[in-house]
Amino acid sequence: MQQRTIITIGFVVLFYGAVPAAFGSTDYVISSIVAALTIAGTAVAWALLGNLGGMVSFGHAAFFGVGAYVSALLTMNAGWPVFAAIIAGGAGASIASVAIMPALRLRGPYFALAVLAYAGIFRILATEMEGITRGAAGLLSIPRLPTILGFDLGTNIGSYYVILTIVLAAMAAYAWIRRSEIGFALLAMHETEDATRILGVPSTRLKAMMLVLSAFITGIVGAFNAHHISFLDPDYAFSGVWTVLPIVAAIFGGFRTVSGPFIGALAIYLLDQFVFKSLLPTGHQIILGAALGTMILLSPDGLVPLLGRGLGKKRHAAT
Amino acid sequence: MFELGLQAIYSGVLTGGYYALVALGLALVFGTMRVINLAHGELVLLAAYVAYSAEVHLAISPIAAIPLSLVVVSLVAVLVYVLLSHITRDRELNSLILTYGLGIVLTNLMLLIWSADIRSTTATWFQEGAVLGDTLYSSRSEVIFFLVSLVLVAGLWFWLTRSWHGRAVRAVSSNRDAAMLMGVNPRTTEVLSFLVAGLLATFAGIALYTGKTIDPPLGHALTIKAFIITVLAGMGSIPGVLLGAMLIGITEALTISFVSTSLQDLAGMVLFLAVLLLRPQGLFGFGTRRG
Repeated sequence: MQQRTIITIGFVVLFYGAVPAAFGSTDYVISSIVAALTIAGTAVAWALLGNLGGMVSFGHAAFFGVGAYVSALLTMNAGWPVFAAIIAGGAGASIASVAIMPALRLRGPYFALAVLAYAGIFRILATEMEGITRGAAGLLSIPRLPTILGFDLGTNIGSYYVILTIVLAAMAAYAWIRRSEIGFALLAMHETEDATRILGVPSTRLKAMMLVLSAFITGIVGAFNAHHISFLDPDYAFSGVWTVLPIVAAIFGGFRTVSGPFIGALAIYLLDQFVFKSLLPTGHQIILGAALGTMILLSPDGLVPLLGRGLGKKRHAAT
Repeated sequence: MFELGLQAIYSGVLTGGYYALVALGLALVFGTMRVINLAHGELVLLAAYVAYSAEVHLAISPIAAIPLSLVVVSLVAVLVYVLLSHITRDRELNSLILTYGLGIVLTNLMLLIWSADIRSTTATWFQEGAVLGDTLYSSRSEVIFFLVSLVLVAGLWFWLTRSWHGRAVRAVSSNRDAAMLMGVNPRTTEVLSFLVAGLLATFAGIALYTGKTIDPPLGHALTIKAFIITVLAGMGSIPGVLLGAMLIGITEALTISFVSTSLQDLAGMVLFLAVLLLRPQGLFGFGTRRG
């Protein structure tokens, strides 16, 4: 426990202090890190659903896009302050996730694929509901993050602090749930659902809670991104990228750990941005697909447990 | 109005035949290995692209390119199987993620080889109209591959129920260990089901190439469609796949005729979610999917 606290403090100091100090002056690097953290937030949400809920989702782009649209439209049409709208974006994504709940009674692959099919609906809706979303033309000049106490959060470095805080809060929530009674029940459920039901664990309700929470976090990240980029259209907001990259990141880093998706997202996104894209301007996703496949075959628990094993630390797969 | 509806149903039935070809391979592999091959749509698209290359470089018709497509698609299908067989833990979910990754690899490979340009066949013979009873219109490709699909569905059903290898597939699907004790080699059987899935994907790909246009992102959309149909049918029902495919085809065609072309995919997905909600075992399936 002592060691874990030290690591956590070091981690926070590094990301709040050292990273901005080192890269704060180079806009290109810091904006890439902001984008990587956007992926990290979604990856944490995906891993929460995957590890605690035992559900693989191929549809997180839907939650990301719904969060982005809800928040952008509330600020543009109803004059909501940006931060309130971002929270509402998360809530919007949660509400969207309720529509997929019938699929919760499906297990394993069925659920994953039901979400895959379901995600397609939202892109079509965003394109077709032109009266509200302005359709394929998209939303331009979405309000940026505000200036608070003289500090402009709309700049790259300001946005960096905002998304970092969102991601760390998501990780803290994930860690807290995992150690709570609910997390214990959920992990037991992962081993054998029927046995835990017999012991009185309301498994479907717990899974539904994880789905709503995962959608909420993803929606918030999507909403943040909308205000950061200040532009949205259906193809961008619901792009498959928001599904693929978080999955690759979470699997790569190790989705059964709290820090895995975070580390995986930084590694994968920055590699993709600075190395793969320059090697292969089109089709660089081929490397991501190959990395995903290789990881699943060689170390399904990801890089973090692999490193942990290398350091001689013994960890249970699912705790 | 009535004629428009009749025409929509006719088009929907023909499209359903093509959709059945796309979905059957997915359903078959799922039946044998309990694995949903998320790269299946990419296999279909790969067959279409091989036919395109054969047409451009060898100047042969898409029909004559079938053997070539078949070889390429079968090799890739077996490769998918070999990779899948290396998964030991959490097979259901890990195989899903693995085939998802393979789908991304295949899509981008096709993008690198054939570029993002939209391709279609130069053999216009396939796209010429075929009129049934003076009122119902379709293209020749649609009619031909509707008939091909009926033959293949019947053949697959016959193979699964009457032949030794087909029964072995069903035996492995219902109980792998017991099948092994009865002298069935599950690995051979699984490879066989992947090969048959590759064969079905090849015909689906040729139907696609002669009838429509192709571009790399299409593979992913085909996988989703195949999955939706498989769920509608109820996992493991071969005639159900044909009926489910026709139902999707008709729903889409009616949506195009009476509502809007852009809502075509939405209609299929709403139907899918409704079935999931009201009848999770599928329209033609039995039993529950839990436990």
